[in-house]
Amino acid sequence: MNFFGESLGTALSLILSLDGEVLRTVWTSLYVSISAISVAAMIGIPIGLAIGIHRFRGRRLVLTGLNTLMALPTVVVGLVVYGLLSRQSPLGPLGLLFTPVAMMIGQIVLATPIVAHYTVSAACGADARILPTLRTLGAGPLESAWQMLREVRFVILAGVVAGFGRIIAEVGVAMMLGGNIRGYTRTMTTAIALETGKGEFAFALALGLVLMSVALGINLLLNLLQQR
Amino acid sequence: MESLYSLRNITCAYASKTVLSIDRLEIFADRITCLTGVNGSGKSSLLELLGLLHPPAQGALLYRGEPLPRSGKALQQIRREITLAHQTPYLLKGTVADNIRYPLKLRNLTRREQDRLVCWSLQTVGLGGFEQRKSDQLSGGELRRVAIVRALALKPRVLLLDEPMAGLDTAQSDVMESILTRLNSKDLTVILSTHDPALPERLCADIVRLQEGQLAGRQPLPTTTETPLCPDRLKMQEA
Repeated sequence: MNFFGESLGTALSLILSLDGEVLRTVWTSLYVSISAISVAAMIGIPIGLAIGIHRFRGRRLVLTGLNTLMALPTVVVGLVVYGLLSRQSPLGPLGLLFTPVAMMIGQIVLATPIVAHYTVSAACGADARILPTLRTLGAGPLESAWQMLREVRFVILAGVVAGFGRIIAEVGVAMMLGGNIRGYTRTMTTAIALETGKGEFAFALALGLVLMSVALGINLLLNLLQQR
Repeated sequence: MESLYSLRNITCAYASKTVLSIDRLEIFADRITCLTGVNGSGKSSLLELLGLLHPPAQGALLYRGEPLPRSGKALQQIRREITLAHQTPYLLKGTVADNIRYPLKLRNLTRREQDRLVCWSLQTVGLGGFEQRKSDQLSGGELRRVAIVRALALKPRVLLLDEPMAGLDTAQSDVMESILTRLNSKDLTVILSTHDPALPERLCADIVRLQEGQLAGRQPLPTTTETPLCPDRLKMQEA
């Protein structure tokens, strides 16, 4: 207990003193995950909306596939994307492996099904009168889809937050595709794993606290938006 | 008398159940037409068909004597002449003004023009001052009137109303009737469904009676211009 208490004190002092190493790691985590979730939202929301609004043959199969993708193990995504980006693969010459871009690609693969799934749920659970009302007001298909998004935006926002929560907290993709390079691709989660292994428990704990704070901050922001 | 809608051997079906089957029906422009019939007789389905929300499963629906395009901009253009206010209307999230502005924005009207129409339409139905009220804070009667305001602000050529008097008290019904009569004197075709057997007479309206999805009767009544029998309309015209 004493060990934990002392480590916690050291961790807090590292955060409060704005330790450079901690800040760099936090920054890498945030910009990689925010970029990834932004792209995932741009892909996942239209896909989810299309599946949610339209009735087509094989829709149930698509939904089952989407649900399965939500549970994708991060190491499997890391493995597949690693295979696609490694030197011998067609995308190898781009030199993306062990860069923040590679981590983003992996995280986009992880987050897109989550955002899409929430969007499908939002569209299916939306008031059945929305689309006929929009049509009778003169909205075309794109205008209807856009307004539909606005009507169910809080559910979709929850999906984006859930997706962000998954990717900022994951280790597999960041480790396999980023390589945990100090000051370049080292994220909070990979650093926590590494520093704990090295016995630098206080440093790992400091990052853990920041990670928790980020999650708390995002949820507070979501609550604030929902109350408006 | 110009025919606005012509229905020829129309069949509408939902989930393979036929809900509407009409061999021939003309609905005339610039008049009020009341669709009457018991619940499930096909009134709402007919309104949705006339509102171009669903194409018929079979048959031809002519609008101003022309067959309707199946899709595309031409259909969109015609759709923007027609507005349907549902029996339990849906108001978009936001204020009453946001709701009325939305379809006006779709028509690329300037902000100034939008504000003018918001103000005019709310005044028309006696809801002046409701601009900033939140749509989820309205009573049932207010909600229905706002939905009609939203439709009116578009200055449509055809206004379709599904049970506009349902759930309104006597005073609100009188206001609504007076609005409908006044609007119809402005080259607007109004088609509404009702359970009130006396309403068509009070509105000097044509009657289309439906039964089990089929046309059970049609009763054209004289228009205001032909007879001064309707005191409400007469008062409006004099005004």
